[in-house]
Amino acid sequence: MKTMKTIQFIILIALFTGFSSCSNDDDEPLVAVESQNITNLQAQQAGGQGQPISGAFAKFDFLTGQTTESDSDWDIAFRGTSIIVNGGTSLGTIDEPERTGEGAAYMASGTMASVMEVTQDLFVQDSDTGYAITTGSENGWYSYSGAPTYLITPIPGKILVFKTRDGRYAKVEILSYYENAPSEPNAFTDTSRVYTFNYVYQPNFGITTF
Amino acid sequence: MILNKSFLTFYFILFFTMYSFSQGIQVDSINPVKLEQVFVTATRTNRFISTLPLPVHIISKRDIEQANSVRLNDILNEQTGLITVNDYGGGEGIQMQGLDSQYTLILVDGMPLVGRLAGTLDIKRLTTANIKKIEVVKGASSSLYGSDAMGGVINIITENPEKGFNVKLNYRLETFSTEDMSAVLNYKKAKFGWRAFLNKYSSNGFDLNPKTELKTVDPFVNYTFNLKTEYAFSKQSNFYLSLKYFNQNQDYNASAILRGESSINEWSSNLKFTREFNVKLSAYFEFYATVFKTDNYLINSENGTFFDSNYFDQQLIRPELRVQYKFNEVNELIGGIGYSHESLDRTNFSVQPEFNAPYVYLQYDSNLTNDINMIIGARFDSHNKYRSQFSPKAAVRYSLNKKWSLKGSVGYGFKAPDFRQLFFDFTNSTVGYTVLGFNVANSALAQLQSQGEIATLIISPSDLKNTLSPENSISTNIGVDYKLSPKLNFKVNFFRNNINDLIDTRVIANKTNGQNVFSYYNVNKVYTSGFEIDGKWKPLNRLKITGGYQLLFAKDKEAEAAFEKGDVYARKDPVSPAFQLKKEDYFGLFNRSRHMVNLKLYYMLPKWKAFANVRLTYRSKYGLLDSNGNNYLDVYDDFVEAYSILDFSINKTFYTNYSLNIGIDNLFNFTDPQNISNIPGRIIYAKLNINL
Repeated sequence: MKTMKTIQFIILIALFTGFSSCSNDDDEPLVAVESQNITNLQAQQAGGQGQPISGAFAKFDFLTGQTTESDSDWDIAFRGTSIIVNGGTSLGTIDEPERTGEGAAYMASGTMASVMEVTQDLFVQDSDTGYAITTGSENGWYSYSGAPTYLITPIPGKILVFKTRDGRYAKVEILSYYENAPSEPNAFTDTSRVYTFNYVYQPNFGITTF
Repeated sequence: MILNKSFLTFYFILFFTMYSFSQGIQVDSINPVKLEQVFVTATRTNRFISTLPLPVHIISKRDIEQANSVRLNDILNEQTGLITVNDYGGGEGIQMQGLDSQYTLILVDGMPLVGRLAGTLDIKRLTTANIKKIEVVKGASSSLYGSDAMGGVINIITENPEKGFNVKLNYRLETFSTEDMSAVLNYKKAKFGWRAFLNKYSSNGFDLNPKTELKTVDPFVNYTFNLKTEYAFSKQSNFYLSLKYFNQNQDYNASAILRGESSINEWSSNLKFTREFNVKLSAYFEFYATVFKTDNYLINSENGTFFDSNYFDQQLIRPELRVQYKFNEVNELIGGIGYSHESLDRTNFSVQPEFNAPYVYLQYDSNLTNDINMIIGARFDSHNKYRSQFSPKAAVRYSLNKKWSLKGSVGYGFKAPDFRQLFFDFTNSTVGYTVLGFNVANSALAQLQSQGEIATLIISPSDLKNTLSPENSISTNIGVDYKLSPKLNFKVNFFRNNINDLIDTRVIANKTNGQNVFSYYNVNKVYTSGFEIDGKWKPLNRLKITGGYQLLFAKDKEAEAAFEKGDVYARKDPVSPAFQLKKEDYFGLFNRSRHMVNLKLYYMLPKWKAFANVRLTYRSKYGLLDSNGNNYLDVYDDFVEAYSILDFSINKTFYTNYSLNIGIDNLFNFTDPQNISNIPGRIIYAKLNINL
């Protein structure tokens, strides 16, 4: 898989150099697609366990590859197990940010390598009845083991495909919900609501492949 | 080795007794007079086992005594194709032909046991001390027994009053200060007979993880009491009454601070009138009533405040009239009509549900020729809470010659949705999810909605309007029996159970707290298939060897399809990127081993006037949970490793009426503290039996 990515990368670099060496100034040069890894993105919440959930969402911007406090320049945001997009309307939970962009999402089955193209028809925006990335164990991106381990495990084969606030695309594979992505997580000792994920961002407008 | 003071004292007394009675001893042969074995469970009539067209098995009193079993799970675990598995509720249930314990009907003297707390019926509840024999019928048997008889039926037949007056006492002491003692008082003369049985079983429990605050099994004590009376009005009519009471108290600890007690109380009464009108026609009327109650509480031991309590109170009343008509020596018809009334009162139920189910069945048993026996039968169960069920069954046996015979049977089995699947109304107080029984889901959901706890409905309320279907199966068994001589015989049985409408949970709504509301629905199609071999060989008069093997494939058809389509992914490491799984990576259902083996060696020691035996059971690897997050058990998951257990014992008879049993169970002290909580490690025991 690594070699796949490397090949992908080399091809893109080649294309990039190819395009940039072209003297036609009308064509915007294509920016390289890169696979990135984000570790320990804190997505804490207050409440839960039967109480109303509150607390600020941790907003993430694919363009910078970083979390942001901006009210508008974010693409996706995390709080506990909930993941929202900057598009559509708010579900109306406490401290939930207003949507300002054209973000949307869907979940695809596959691996980061096999999900290579965006399917436009599948995109859904957040709404006042539910999030585009559906919530709950076995219903979204994770499964909850219950007793006795009480672990939240990202379901393998779930790739989250996003449309960013300004209409570009990204794909995400969540790897861990626990701090430092321990290989044997323990729900009692490891801090949860801490995301580690891989993503690929397509920075070029109008390109629907990764 | 655990040898506490009382054990030593006991040992000395035994030695002394042995010494004083060491003369004039007679020893049984290992070949007792071979009587044709009678089997009742397959036809509800006294039927010779050798000509039955079904896969059946008898565990005799002798088998139980030689294995020195104490509780029912001990002896069942040694049988081919049977294994007891631990349930998260703490019960130990039986798995048969790869079907879970909820799909096996357990009868005591022909009457069903109740008290399936989370579907599992804990068979540790039953002592083996009073058992005359255990009959096992494999394959769906709903045509005679209705609900739950999907994987098969286990009928525990207890001792009846026997002629004369006698007293039996026994006492057994073992590791973990476990004590088992029984007393039998028996009287029968001419028309009247009675038998009283009392058993006490207690233990200090054991701890497989001494580092944790809680013991694996907490100390407990239980009592079983059974009184049977028989009165023959005449040669043709009989009256029989059996009363049973079981009581257990056990420490119940949820943490170092939260401590309490759990108790079980079970009563049952079984009344039977038998009337033989003539050689051809007999009738039986039975009235069975049983109550099963549990009570648990927890107290915060730091400040003495009450923390939590729960209870479970199930009742079953069942009158049944059965008529047997013998056309002649070889053709027989049996028919029955009955009514089941069942009710349950328990914590987390918003209603107190009642099941009412009248039923009728008919079965015809015929020897078409000298070589061909055939049984056909069917039962109809009507029900007030789910769809009525019609369960047919047909079986044929063909004797090729004196050595070889073939048998085959096809039957329908079903399991009615239990009270929990219909009426549960439970919200987890710490996590916040909700589980609703199918029949209460709509009203409970409406209530949650009015309280503003529902964010989205995933299932429209109209989807919950129909009724939940009973889980059902078509079971096929094809077998070959081979009998070379009384010294060597074996049988093979191929089985396949196609199970439909298996009940599972699904999310029916999202809650505003981010959790979900679950309810039950019919979804899965599952199959279990494989074969079992049973063999017996007596190479010497003194030596008997028996062995058995079961091969099992138990799979979910939708899971198989998902693997085939390439929809299933896994990670090698919990945090590494996922990859796609192949068809052959699917292992099957949880808690099923591909291979199970038992091998037993019985040896007579004439010089010692004793019997020795060594018994081995093996279970191949199995998965308990999905450890890589894809919801399926695949070859990349963590498995419980294969294990074997070796038991050894010597039983010595002395002075005719006394016998002493000494043995070691689990000789090599196998334990798996993380995965197997019902295997405590090596057990050393001694038992003294006195018959007066």
